[in-house]
Amino acid sequence: MPKTGFFVLHSNVMPKLTAGRYDLVTDQTGLPFEVAAQHTHVTVASPRYVMPTDQILSTFPPANADGAFGDRLPQIVLKRRTLPWERNPAEQVQTSETPWLALVVVAEGEAQLSTATAVADCVTAGTTLLDPGDKDVEQGLYLAVTETVVKKIFPCQEDLPLLVHVREVDINDTELANGDDDGWLAVVLANRLPVFDTANNKPVRYMAALVNVEGQLSALPKPEPPNDFFNFELAQDWTVLANVNLSVGPDPRVMGGFSVGNVQLPAPGGVFHAPSAAARSAAKAAGSAGVRGGVVNASTLDGATSMHEAPVGQQWKSATDQVAAVALDPDAKRLVRDTMASGFRLPIELFAVEKVLRFPVLAHWSFTTSEGATFETLMEDLDVGLLGTRPAPPADAPAAGPGPEVIETGHIGLDLRSRRGDAARAWYRGPFVPCPTTRDLPNQAQPLLAHSADQLRRVVPDGREDLSLAAAFEIGRLLALSQLSVVSALLRFRSEQFGAGRIRELLSHIVGFELPSIAEQRVDLGRLVAVSVVSGLAKNPGQTIGPRRPVADPGRELVLSPDLELDQVIADGLGLNLGAVRKLSDQIGVVAALSRSTVPVAKPVQDVTALRVALNQELQSVIAVAAPPQILTTGRRASRDAAPARDALDELIDRAVDPGEDEESE
Amino acid sequence: MEKYLSSQVVLDVAVSAAQKYADLIVDHDPDDGAHVVPGELRRFLARLRLLHGVPFSYLVADSDLLPIESIRFFYLDRAWTDALVQGALSVGTITTADRTQLEAVYSTIRNEVDEAERTIRTPQGEERLKGAGGAISGFLMRSRVVSGWPNLHVRGYSRDVIDDDALTTAAESDPDRMKVLRMERLAPAVLLVLFDGIPAVVHVEEPRQGIQFGVRLNPADPPAQRKAKVKVRDNLTGDPVPPKNAFTAANSVDVPFRKNAPGVINVTELRKRLAAKSPNSGGALEPNEYALQMLRFPYRQVFGDPDNIEGQRFYDVDKFVVSVTLTSWKTTVENNVIKVLP
Repeated sequence: MPKTGFFVLHSNVMPKLTAGRYDLVTDQTGLPFEVAAQHTHVTVASPRYVMPTDQILSTFPPANADGAFGDRLPQIVLKRRTLPWERNPAEQVQTSETPWLALVVVAEGEAQLSTATAVADCVTAGTTLLDPGDKDVEQGLYLAVTETVVKKIFPCQEDLPLLVHVREVDINDTELANGDDDGWLAVVLANRLPVFDTANNKPVRYMAALVNVEGQLSALPKPEPPNDFFNFELAQDWTVLANVNLSVGPDPRVMGGFSVGNVQLPAPGGVFHAPSAAARSAAKAAGSAGVRGGVVNASTLDGATSMHEAPVGQQWKSATDQVAAVALDPDAKRLVRDTMASGFRLPIELFAVEKVLRFPVLAHWSFTTSEGATFETLMEDLDVGLLGTRPAPPADAPAAGPGPEVIETGHIGLDLRSRRGDAARAWYRGPFVPCPTTRDLPNQAQPLLAHSADQLRRVVPDGREDLSLAAAFEIGRLLALSQLSVVSALLRFRSEQFGAGRIRELLSHIVGFELPSIAEQRVDLGRLVAVSVVSGLAKNPGQTIGPRRPVADPGRELVLSPDLELDQVIADGLGLNLGAVRKLSDQIGVVAALSRSTVPVAKPVQDVTALRVALNQELQSVIAVAAPPQILTTGRRASRDAAPARDALDELIDRAVDPGEDEESE
Repeated sequence: MEKYLSSQVVLDVAVSAAQKYADLIVDHDPDDGAHVVPGELRRFLARLRLLHGVPFSYLVADSDLLPIESIRFFYLDRAWTDALVQGALSVGTITTADRTQLEAVYSTIRNEVDEAERTIRTPQGEERLKGAGGAISGFLMRSRVVSGWPNLHVRGYSRDVIDDDALTTAAESDPDRMKVLRMERLAPAVLLVLFDGIPAVVHVEEPRQGIQFGVRLNPADPPAQRKAKVKVRDNLTGDPVPPKNAFTAANSVDVPFRKNAPGVINVTELRKRLAAKSPNSGGALEPNEYALQMLRFPYRQVFGDPDNIEGQRFYDVDKFVVSVTLTSWKTTVENNVIKVLP
């Protein structure tokens, strides 16, 4: 493989076999008995009427491009290196160094590109092809060209091998290989420069068509003595057909006697039979007298067409724009090809007097040469300078006005109508200046910020105002105001980000430790602090709030000793008077006596309702922080409206609401 | 009681929560990292800095400053673009508090927008450049070159390190190369290019779309008699026959055309002529040798090359003609000042 940045050119890479069907016969000899020959059928396949798109690596000029291609030969790069030699154009089975592919370049109006046609009709009638049954598709396209055009623009048979070569590149070099798999590419060059129409100074649309010349080598032109110059003129101009009214049925066209109006069709040999001036004036006179000597004045060239002129917008639409427009359509693949071929659909075959040849088109694309000058001359004639330089006026030009008032700093003097209505002159300088400028004033710690354009108006010592920065301020303000999204982004930024910026600055110095994180969502600062505080506290209440109070207080301590009676201990514990109980039990029995004696009970707390109300209020205010009332928000803050994920505070609230009952029942 | 809830604990929790909050609402751009200015606003301001959307009459105040078929180099006035951004920021500052806040944040905004300027145009596979905003320069070109050759290549170099006709694969982030901040066709024939720095040398090159084959048309010919030439190359090395920049009888051949056919090359005759003139042809050209002779490389125009070793035409970009000279302007100023301060 060649080095990166280098490539190797090869004249050709011959396949071992041409495409077609082969019979492989195995014959064995030298055995004492006869062995029947074995027949194996092999088909060597190759494109014939359509080039598969995966075989086309690139084209130059790019399809539908608009530019100066006048000094470059169009080319198409094919991925399979043997493709151009896989068929023998002379209809032989052996391989031949003459490729079967040729790239022809036709200008608009010189040839006709057909619509889909059965492949048998894609070649000139009478051409015998080797194995016509070998076809890769059923329908293909063909290029219909008159013999005259073929003689003028098609390559000679001797040219064909020179126009195809093989290139071997490093596949890692993107500029050369463009994503090929093995780095071997076949390149087909055209023999015609797509030149600009310098005579009429107008762009020319060309179509490059990769055609199959199998069986038609004899139709190609013979070498002729060369010319050292050329003149732009279409090989044969059929563009008049665009104006012919084709609404006439097919019969008159076939039967003859059909007049295309006073359209002058090109004659064989490409020589226009332009009516002489005398004949034209005679015809005119005859026409005015109501008699047209044999010429039927059908609708076409001058009258009707000029009446129904396309709207101005469409007149300016170039073919490039049209193709770009149809590329937006869902059916783009077909439509783009169709629209690109639109200038090449003139029904030449119907009208041509001479023989029209057909060549199968494997691939085609069109482009426009819209520039006649060359890059070098344009670049070298450029007037170079710093902004502010004015070109030297042409020597023979009349003395122009004084021109703009430009000074060395790049300022330009402009008329100014002041707010008071006085006419004055002011200085203005755009962002492009001819000398380096300073951004800030010297010895300035912070960049200065202007809040209104008037702060940027300067008076220079010559008494005029310098409005450069004020104008910049004003246009910046208007550009921001012209976009609603920018205005709202600014307001949002102002409402929250300014604060955030300050907090960030402040806190970056004092924060030293990490605390429990919260759910990654946008919340407001108050709620966030509350949630963080509460969840921080809830994580380890024993350390931050204090130990929990036990659910029940233990009773008084039992004093158990052998000298104390058990009854006395129990009675003390329950707060009973043991003597009174004993006296009563002597009269009515123990059980009745116990049931009659009253146990002292602690007095109920008086303001428990008030406490409960207070607790509820606190709870509500905590809930209000944790789940704030819905606020109408827009944009990215809308996520706040969604129910926030449960966090530690919610759990705390739940616990506070439910088990609260226990505490009261205690 | 130190062990339990204290004001210090509460303050710490609150501080940490606030920090978290600041992190939440600060813009975390996956590409650009954390910033105070939200991404959409930062990018809008950076685009504004690169003069996206600014009416052309504000850029070039008089058509005489950018005549037909001209190229004009310039420095970008940072004070002007800052004023532009200040104007955009002034939208919606209603109260004094707003303005005070804006003043406090402005230096941060300015630094962040300086950084964002470099991310507006990010070609694929290029490294992201960071750093404080420096000088910006560029050029305006008004020419048919811009309309006729779409996708021109423009490269700025901080040092004249490569030969004027050498190929290079240096990326834009290469220290010798200048990042192109903006390259846009403002009109079909007007190209604006901004460089991140002040380049020593600027290369403007024809678009290179793969390898091309062709001839050199002579633009001076009358339309009816157009001619073309091909420069011959050595068939062994592929090097063009010197001299490099001129078509002489020894190093080029006239391209033969087919009679009565526009632009159709008589390939057989051209092959003969090339074979006769090119070194090491052996009398006849093979198809690959023919392709070698027809190869054409993109033309490159070099601006500002101070040494011009390669002998190509170069342009001194410091020359500048003015209608009011500095001395006469100074006189005016002095006279006025004398009048004001008698």
